[in-house]
Amino acid sequence: MKDWRIIPYGTFSAFENMAMDEAVFRGNQQGTSPPTLRFYDWQPSAVSLGYFQVLEAEINVSYCRENNIDIVRRPTGGKAVFHEDDLTYSLVSRENIPPFSPGILGTYLIISRCILEGIADLGVRAEMAEESRSSGGEGPASHCFSFPSRYELLADGRKICGSAQTRSNGAFLQHGSLLLRFDPFKALSVVTQNAASEEQASLLKKSVTSLRDHIADPADPAHIAGILTASFEKVLQVQFVEGRLTEEEEAVKDGLLQNKYRTDIWNRSGTVRMNNY
Amino acid sequence: MMVFPDDLLYSREHTWARVDGNLVTIGITDYGQDKLGEVLNLDLPEVDTYVEQDEPFGTIESAKTVTELISPVSGDVVRVNDDITEDVGIINSDPYDTGWLIVVEVKDASELDNLLDSTEYNDYVLGEEGLD
Repeated sequence: MKDWRIIPYGTFSAFENMAMDEAVFRGNQQGTSPPTLRFYDWQPSAVSLGYFQVLEAEINVSYCRENNIDIVRRPTGGKAVFHEDDLTYSLVSRENIPPFSPGILGTYLIISRCILEGIADLGVRAEMAEESRSSGGEGPASHCFSFPSRYELLADGRKICGSAQTRSNGAFLQHGSLLLRFDPFKALSVVTQNAASEEQASLLKKSVTSLRDHIADPADPAHIAGILTASFEKVLQVQFVEGRLTEEEEAVKDGLLQNKYRTDIWNRSGTVRMNNY
Repeated sequence: MMVFPDDLLYSREHTWARVDGNLVTIGITDYGQDKLGEVLNLDLPEVDTYVEQDEPFGTIESAKTVTELISPVSGDVVRVNDDITEDVGIINSDPYDTGWLIVVEVKDASELDNLLDSTEYNDYVLGEEGLD
C-alpha cells in the first residue's frame, strides 16, 4: 500500500488556506511533493470565489466587510462557497497515479466515493448526482450549493458536499466543502446584494442540506476529518502518513500569500494568473 | 467517432495547429473538448502576448474544473478569436473551424517537428485511453 501525506486538520485564514493548497499543487506538478490530503477550517469565516467568477457581480462585498468575512479567489473552478460551519478538504495528486485517470469526471467520481463512505460511517446516507444541473435550482446562480454537478453528493436529494478542481502539468487539486450546519440566511447574504428574504432562504434550503440535518450532534470537525481520512484510505487503497509542508513548499506558500492570495488584484479581478507571481 | 483532420498537427496536450507560412492557428482537438465536457469559461491572451511551446497560454473551465491551455508553438499572438469568448460553447460544437482560439506568429519552424500528425495523434489518444 502506498504512503500518501496527510496534513493534520487545522484552522487558517482564507488566504493561507489557498496558498498552502497551491504550494502543494505546484510541488505535485513538479513531482517534488507527494499526493496530499488536507482538511481545514477558515478563521475568520470566508467566502471563496470560483476562479472565473466576477467578484462585484457575485459577492456582497460590503456585507462581508461589515461582518468580518474574508473574500478569496480560489484557483479551482465552480461558484462561491461560504465557509462557516463547513469542513473543507483539498486533495492534490498527479493525474495518472492509480486509482486516478486523466479524466476530470473520473476524479470527481473517486473522491465522491471517499466522502460518501466517510459520511456513511457518520450515519448519513447520501448518493451521487447522476447528472449536472446548471439551472432550475432553488438558490442564486452564483452560489455553489444551488445546483449539484455530476457525482456531487446529495442527501435526501439535497446537496451536502460541493467540489471543484484545477489541473495543470499533469497534476490536479480538488477542493470540496462538506456542510456541517447550514444557515440559508447567511449563505444568501454573502452572494445577494439585498437582505435575504424568508422566501429565498426557504427555497435555498430545499436545495441544500448539512450533517446537522441528519445527525443530532455532528462531532467536531477534527473528528470528522479523521473518519474521512480513513474512508479516503479505504477507497484510494493508500495509507496516509501525517506530515507537514516541506521547506520548499513553505517558501512557495509564503510567496503566494504575499503576491497572490492577499492581493486585491487576484481576489478582485483574478488577473494574477497561476504562475505569474 | 473522434475526428483528427489530416491537414493539422497535434500536441500531446490536445491542442491542434494549422500552419500557414509562419502563422499558426491554434485550437482544442475534438478529443480534448470531449474530455473537458461542456466549456463554461475561457481566458485567452491578448494580441502581442508572447506564448511559449509547452507552456500555458490560457485557461478554460468545464465541469467546475480550471484547466490550463498549453501552447503547441512559441511566438507572438497576432489574432484572438473574440467571437469565441462571447460563445465558448463553439469549442465543443465546432473545435476545428469556428472554434479556433488564437493565431501565433512563429519564429522557429523547427518547433513544429515536436508535434504529431493525425495518425500519430490518434495512436497517442488510443494509448491515453488504454486502447493501444
